[in-house]
Parts: sequence; structure tokens; C-alpha cells
Amino acid sequence: MRKTAFLPTILLSLSLTIFLALSAGGAEKEWRTTFDETCGQSNEAMAFSVDELTTLIEKCDRLQKVIEAEDETVRKVYLKRLQLCKNLYVFVLETKKMEQSPK
Amino acid sequence: MRNLSFLLVLLLALSNVSWASGMKKKKPLPYEFGSVTINNYSQQAGMAPVVFDHWVHRQYYTCRLCHVDIGFGMTADSTKIRAVDNMRGYFCGVCHNGKMNERKQRVFEACEREYTREEYNGRCVRCHALGRSPAKEEEFARFAAKMPKETFGNGINWEKAEDEGLIRPIDHLPGISGGKAKFKITQDFSLKAKVEGMPDIIFSHKKHTVWNGCEICHPDIFLGIKKGSTKYSMIELFEGRYCGVCHDKVAFPQTDCHRCHSKPVGEQ
Repeated sequence: MRKTAFLPTILLSLSLTIFLALSAGGAEKEWRTTFDETCGQSNEAMAFSVDELTTLIEKCDRLQKVIEAEDETVRKVYLKRLQLCKNLYVFVLETKKMEQSPK
Repeated sequence: MRNLSFLLVLLLALSNVSWASGMKKKKPLPYEFGSVTINNYSQQAGMAPVVFDHWVHRQYYTCRLCHVDIGFGMTADSTKIRAVDNMRGYFCGVCHNGKMNERKQRVFEACEREYTREEYNGRCVRCHALGRSPAKEEEFARFAAKMPKETFGNGINWEKAEDEGLIRPIDHLPGISGGKAKFKITQDFSLKAKVEGMPDIIFSHKKHTVWNGCEICHPDIFLGIKKGSTKYSMIELFEGRYCGVCHDKVAFPQTDCHRCHSKPVGEQ
């Protein structure tokens, strides 16, 4: 009886461990994909509309919170990279708004 | 005559800048031009400070790849790189991981938690090299001999070297660089020289964006997108601001006047 209960417990804990490891890896992969999608468009910053730039900046803000929870090395690398692309989007957005505002 | 007076004004300005900064700068030798000493943690760990040579790396990679995709800062010691960061595959460890091949050569591994005396002498001192590398001058001379010549800086015309296919800087590393969209190249434009008789400046967005991307310069270095929106003078440039962030330190020095002031006089 004991033996039969032992095996499913082991299997259950194993699958739980695998699931947690995969979901943690998946979450990391998810923010990296969002990061690449968001900051990978900096070459086209000038071509974006005000709305598009605002969406990108919001994405950067959300990413910042996720990256801040990562370990020190990842934080150092990705917060710096994020700051570079967010600053560019903010800068282009402000320039576009200034151009659109009546003189 | 006008050019001569401009040159005198320029020299006077330069001497004022060096006097104001309180020190007389030693002109670097060609192989030292663009060298950066990094010493955040090295000496604490009992190692010599790291000497990073831009010339070694720029023949293979664009500025953008390291300063945007890998995240290196634009000033010495601003990145605060630790050995453990390199071991985890960040910063220098992106390439210096003992696995990456570059031009059919294995890129040596950067840092290790433990190392033998042989490893220290054969590997660590390749970067932790302050005052330790007499062979560097020879290595540079061998490399520079194959490159197109330039009068100033490290004596290499990097732009020409790329045009002639002698170097092909890589701009993308799998797993590090995201899928970047292609640049829509902005036209080159001219900027009016402030001194009469001095040729106007031709600024090549093409060269600068291909090597640097947008975010290295905007908005940290240049706060204007529209031509003329950022006002600056040669004095500020010589103080290391605006173009002077790179030109004088790594890119060709500003004393090479004709490289920027290149618009033929009278041309519209």
C-alpha cells in the first residue's frame, strides 16, 4: 500500500518541479521577446506616430518593472538597454508633439 | 590668411581648455589611441586594471553592437563590469566565452572563478594588462600596416578600411541583438561653419547610424533632431561634449579639421 502511494507522490512532485522550472523559463523568455519587439524598433523611431510611440513607452515602463525583479547582472544590462530605447522614444515623442502644437 | 587666423584661434581655445581642466594631456601614441582603462573592481581583486583597446574590437564589430546591444556605457568605469557578469555571459562574456568563433578563431574565455598560474599568465593578463603588455605596440603596428593611413588619431582611416572591405564590422549577434528593422537612411546634411572662410561641415547620418544606431546619440548626446536645434561650439567639442564624446577619444580627433569641414567652398 505504502509503495503504491509513494510512486504517484514522487511523480507528482517531479512534474510540479518541471512545470515550475518551465514556467519560470517561459516567463523570462516572454519578457525577452517583449524587450526585443519593443527596443528592436528604435531604428524606425522617427516613422512612428504619437500613439505608437506612447504605446512603446508604456511597454518600456512595464518591462522596467519586470526587469527590476531580475538578478543584478540582468538588471544592469537590460535596464541600461531599456533606458537607451525608452529615452529615444520619449525624445522623439516630445519632438513630434512640439511640432504638432500650434506656434 | 583667414584659415591661419582660425587655426590660431583654435589653438588658443585648445590651450585654454587644457589649462581650465587643470592638466596637460599627453598625446596618445597611435596604438594607445582609444584605449580605455577599466578599474572598478580589478585592483580590489588583486589584478591589474583592464586595458580595453578599441582598435582591436572595432575591426570586427560596430560601435552599436557593444554600446547598445551588449550595454557597455560610453565612459570608462560607468558600466561597473564584474568578473561574475562576464562568467554569466554578459558584457565581455558575450563573446569571450571560450565557445564563440570569430574569423575561424576561437575567442578566448574571459573570467573564471579559479585559475592556475599558467592561466593567469596566458589569459587573465590579456585584459588585465595595465603596464604589462610590451607586445601590444608591435601587434598594433602589424595590423595598422595593412590599413589605409590617416594622419591623426591611431593613424588608421577606419571609414576607408570598411569601404575597401578590409574590415567588415558585425552589427548583430544571435541571442543578444533583437531583430532590428533596417535603417531608413537620412540624407547627409551640411552645417554652417562659424568662422568665415572655413568650409562647412558635412554630417553623414548614414555612417553614424550604421555604426551607432540612433539611441547612442539621441537624446543623451544630441538633444535635437531638427538641424540647428542643438547649439554648440568647438570649445564644447574640445571639452568632450557633443561630437567630442567620441571624436578625440575613440573616433578620429577633431584636430583632423577637413574630415568634418569637408564641403567645398561655394558649393550649395
